[in-house]
Amino acid sequence: MLANPKTLSFRLNHTVSLEALTERIVLTGFKLEVVSSSTERREFYDTFEWQAFGKRLVIVKKQKTLFLIDLNTGQQITSVPFSNNSASFFFDALPRSAVREKLSTCSNIRAFSRLCTLDTISCFYRILDDNRKTIATLTSESLCLSEKKSQGAFLHLFALSPLRGYEEETALITEALSTLDEVATVLDFRAQFLLIMRKAEHRVQGYSAKIMLTLNPDAPIHESARQLLQFTCSVMQLNEGGIKKDIDSEFLHDYRVAIRRTRSVMKQLKGVFDSSETTCFLNFFSELGKRTNELRDQDVYLLRKESYFNYLPPFLQPSLNPFFRNIEASRKPLHKQFCHYLSSNNYQSSLKEWEVFIKQEALPEVEQAPNASRSTKEVAVESIKKSWKKVILHGRQISKATTDEELHALRIDCKKLRYLLEFFSSIFPSETITLVIQQLKELQDNLGDFVDFAVQLRFLHEQLATMAEEKLLAASMGGLMTTLFQKQEAARLKFHKTFSSFDHEETSQLFHDLLTDTQT
Amino acid sequence: MKTIALYSIKGGVGKTAAAVNLSYLSSLLSPPALICDLDPQGASSYYFRITASKKFNSDKFLKGNKKIYRNIKATDYPNLDMLPSDFSYRNLDIELAEEKKPQKKLKKNLEELSDDYRFIFLDCPPNLTLLSESVFAASDLILVPLIPTTLSMRTFTQLKEFFESNKLDSSKIRPFFSMVEKQKKLHRDILEEFSNTPGFLSQTIPYNSEVEKMGIYRSPLNAVLPNSPASKAYRSLWDEVKAQLELPGENHAG
Repeated sequence: MLANPKTLSFRLNHTVSLEALTERIVLTGFKLEVVSSSTERREFYDTFEWQAFGKRLVIVKKQKTLFLIDLNTGQQITSVPFSNNSASFFFDALPRSAVREKLSTCSNIRAFSRLCTLDTISCFYRILDDNRKTIATLTSESLCLSEKKSQGAFLHLFALSPLRGYEEETALITEALSTLDEVATVLDFRAQFLLIMRKAEHRVQGYSAKIMLTLNPDAPIHESARQLLQFTCSVMQLNEGGIKKDIDSEFLHDYRVAIRRTRSVMKQLKGVFDSSETTCFLNFFSELGKRTNELRDQDVYLLRKESYFNYLPPFLQPSLNPFFRNIEASRKPLHKQFCHYLSSNNYQSSLKEWEVFIKQEALPEVEQAPNASRSTKEVAVESIKKSWKKVILHGRQISKATTDEELHALRIDCKKLRYLLEFFSSIFPSETITLVIQQLKELQDNLGDFVDFAVQLRFLHEQLATMAEEKLLAASMGGLMTTLFQKQEAARLKFHKTFSSFDHEETSQLFHDLLTDTQT
Repeated sequence: MKTIALYSIKGGVGKTAAAVNLSYLSSLLSPPALICDLDPQGASSYYFRITASKKFNSDKFLKGNKKIYRNIKATDYPNLDMLPSDFSYRNLDIELAEEKKPQKKLKKNLEELSDDYRFIFLDCPPNLTLLSESVFAASDLILVPLIPTTLSMRTFTQLKEFFESNKLDSSKIRPFFSMVEKQKKLHRDILEEFSNTPGFLSQTIPYNSEVEKMGIYRSPLNAVLPNSPASKAYRSLWDEVKAQLELPGENHAG
């Protein structure tokens, strides 16, 4: 087989010096002829958590088409017409296509937001010999951020492609170019993408709500706890913007998880902080949580829209629309109200005070916080042991009837244990801690389902009371409640089985391994 | 891969013009294509502005394989490559005679390119030699341009006789009229006489001053002036040739 000549890609550093480049080419004796030039606007999209990037995909919109590009090769994978001009969109806003399919695997609940807009000027040249025969083509591309147009192009890319049979002649050009200081070699597509994002002041994969702390097991617990609290505080702050812009429901969700983690750790690590100082902060966070409860509930119902429709026979589905319209209508003022609060002095100053508090390195007085100086490892083992025992003890006490109250209470115990395990995970062997969390997660899933169904049932029941006259809606709600009730009962039945597998010798052994190995 | 030879015993009949334009059309409509300039005069190489590299010669051409690969050059048109001729090709016949099976040599060398090209066009020198026999064996179709004049028709008769006496497969031969000037009575009479002769292609190429100017453009006429009468004629001729090779029709693009 004939081999295709290789294209050489390179970029110019620093300043624009296209002239220097063309001069070098002319000096070799070849001529440079412009064939065409064009401009193009490209918009880049991804979710707040860079989920497309995580799957090695780059989402680019050019005019009215959305393209999916392979991050590693720069090759176009697929495309779809898309004329939506908003700053963010969900996968289901796209027409049915391979692009939509791919984006749904990145995230079906997070919105894809515009990261930056790039203006590119492309120029296509031919390099000619004495016979005016083309020996190679040269394409140049200048990239500039449209929001920073005044700064000019930040990247100049060139690709020199020899025509078959003219590799030797082209080598003369490559050689001449290599003497230019400004020429740096190959910049692959991934490196290009990272550079564009850096110019647009985005930290690629710079956000994750997952705890990724590296704690020092010998450091005082006061220091480690502050590390965690600083992390949760930053998660809250990073999500404020997305909540205000109402981009997707995950911003509020991550924000609330950060609040819960904050409160849970503060409450479980007794004697680490001076309680006379922390009480007011705890009240602030508790209050903050409450302020968002109803808004989150509405978000969750809207997220469940599709599954609710699917629970019902088709003839009852349309009558459910008013239910969701009501939720959307009641959500609006709640959202507005909370955003208003986020911008308020009251909130801003409380959070500021909190930030100052968690940055204080000095240990509190021993009388007020006797445990503050104990080692992280010691407190971790002790608090996890206590929390785990509580789950086992409470779980075993749950009656045959498995009442709603019992399961609600156990769910909260489990959450507390989970937060502790995640907080301290870096000081334990990762294999054991992963297994322990996995075991706990199964139990939590069961309890979570149960409580969710119970809450939904109650909510629907309350809604029904206010709209008794709309018969079809009532029938749809009835249908939903029946399904939810059945699901709740299934979760209830599953409890004892799920719990006994958690309260099992193997899991128990895992906890023992986790908590004793580290102590020695 | 199909190999199409543009061949004539007589020179100056529009062979190279046909080879250049047909290969260009095939690169547009059924890519990719290769044009091999077998004529030491290198007219088709000149049209594409290509000169063979200094290391290339008839010897390397006969060796085939990598030696050929290394000397194939891209034209300025995507999907159209060229193996340019070298002045040393004037000795091809002598060198071929030294090969074990000279008639089959070209066919063997071209088969190595079967994965790379859908069509190979051979622009042949005007004579009837061992190289010609090698071309006949290598080709799926032998296109013979004929000027409708007595002398030109006489060379065609000579060609047919040669095929007969050497027991060659004359079913590959497809003559077509070239440089036709309808205002000349002789041209009209000859066209009329051969209009229903089996094997003759029905499309004719008119005499057109633009075809002669290809030497100035140094490009296929179909690339520079796709709507000139001669360009349209080449397009129809290509359709007819493709049909002869029993290939499904494709849309016009050039």
